[in-house]
Amino acid sequence: MEIFFQVLIDGLVIGAFYSLIALGYTMVYGIIKLLNFAHGDLYMIGAFVGFTLLSLFTGDGGVNTGILGLGVVFIGTMIIVGFLGMGIERIAYRPLLLAPRLSILITAIGVSLSLEYSSMIGWGASYKVYPIKLPNDGIQLLGTQISFAQMGMIVLSALLMLGLRLFIDKTIYGKAMRAIALDQTACSLMGVNVHRIIALTFFIGAFLAAGAGIMSGIYYGTINFLMGFTIGLKAFTAAVLGGIGNITGAMLGGLVLGILEAFGTFYMGGSWKDVLAFGILILFLVFKPTGILGAKEMERM
Amino acid sequence: MKPLLKLTDVNSYYGKIHALNNINIEIYEGEIVALLGSNGAGKSTTLKTISSIIRPKSGQIEWNGKNIVGVPPHKIVESGIIHIPEGRRIFSGLTIIENLELGAFTFRKDKKWIKEGIERSFDLFPRLKERSKQLAGTLSGGEQQMLAISRGLMGNPKLLMLDEPSMGLAPIIVQEIMRIIKEINEQGTTILLIEQNAKAALRLANRGYLIEIGNIVMHDSAEVLREDDKIIKAYLGA
Repeated sequence: MEIFFQVLIDGLVIGAFYSLIALGYTMVYGIIKLLNFAHGDLYMIGAFVGFTLLSLFTGDGGVNTGILGLGVVFIGTMIIVGFLGMGIERIAYRPLLLAPRLSILITAIGVSLSLEYSSMIGWGASYKVYPIKLPNDGIQLLGTQISFAQMGMIVLSALLMLGLRLFIDKTIYGKAMRAIALDQTACSLMGVNVHRIIALTFFIGAFLAAGAGIMSGIYYGTINFLMGFTIGLKAFTAAVLGGIGNITGAMLGGLVLGILEAFGTFYMGGSWKDVLAFGILILFLVFKPTGILGAKEMERM
Repeated sequence: MKPLLKLTDVNSYYGKIHALNNINIEIYEGEIVALLGSNGAGKSTTLKTISSIIRPKSGQIEWNGKNIVGVPPHKIVESGIIHIPEGRRIFSGLTIIENLELGAFTFRKDKKWIKEGIERSFDLFPRLKERSKQLAGTLSGGEQQMLAISRGLMGNPKLLMLDEPSMGLAPIIVQEIMRIIKEINEQGTTILLIEQNAKAALRLANRGYLIEIGNIVMHDSAEVLREDDKIIKAYLGA
């Protein structure tokens, strides 16, 4: 039973990362029907920008930055990467919005490679050790040791997702996002600056992915310029699992995938981890392509 | 008197199709102007060109004396021209209230305007009030048109352009919609109306334009158009 909870907590933390990244996938897909394959790399950039900011704070020494310093690093990184996401939309995707879907999809792959290899040039090809050490202490719950760091990550992820849900449901900009996903032209005719709302969507997606990036840097301890590749595909899996285009679906899909993976790894061994995740993707694509909460198109004339 | 909206020699293309050919239209404040013509004549293209969804190849569109060609659609809405598109285009996955709120997007900081506007919409169409929290996609066709009109009014139009508001609706609903359009006009909003139902349109309008294959072939007061042989034969049914 102890082990069960240990695995569950581990799955929750990883699942929260997947969820945060899957949200960006699903929001961008919802609004402009683009599978933004560069999205996983924004998570990587988030980890690196966080790495650089933390290094400035701690002078590479692994000194405890304190909660306040950590908060500044988180917010600063998420905003910087958010603007990067917006810039990518402006430069790479917006000129192609009216082009065939394939052009923009291939561009996304190009953006992904550009981000990866410019990061390699900027930060180097080797693994970097994250310049922060979080205390291992925590609490005993149901016979399992849960560290404060794990709890903090789960809580922070939950808050970010709750904040996003409220933003989408309650603010006029969130409503405009949902409306653009349904009918762009009608939105223009309501006085909505559609391009600006699309840019905002990219900002939020990148913002959340960057948050996940720093957390994973802290959680795993090392980062690398290719770290966004596999996790990007996993987050895509999570988005499909929950129902692509569906915000709650992405959150749920991420958590389900994280937990399944954690248990799969525990019972079958780590080498089966990716097989399990992508096996699930294939099963869903074949048997339930709309995902767990897939949008049922509702229309009535 | 100067026209509120003036189109001078406007040419618009739909891909390679020359959809509007040197169109000239003038609309004066307080009027109801009907734009008549058969399917594919260029009526919707005219409205889309005015609301900047389509950019004309040449010509001028003056709004309050200022050329608005090339101004992005959301700025056109801000300036007081609101286009209720063909097929209603309500946001089916959003609630009725949310649809109305989006109609007031240009007034998004003005909570009072939004609240009052929603109340006004419900006074105009009490049926919407009963369903205010439902998804707009669950409404009947007539109710969707009512929502589309209310949503348009939320943006406080000086000129309201309606594209086939009676399409696919039962005659009794059409009457109600026409009555409401009249009422909106009496409260000071200028109206540009596209209608297949030329009879209903000419009963309502002060003036009308007849458009055929991208050309304005006739324009006159509604009384004259109602009596015109050509119009009677082609659009009113003898």
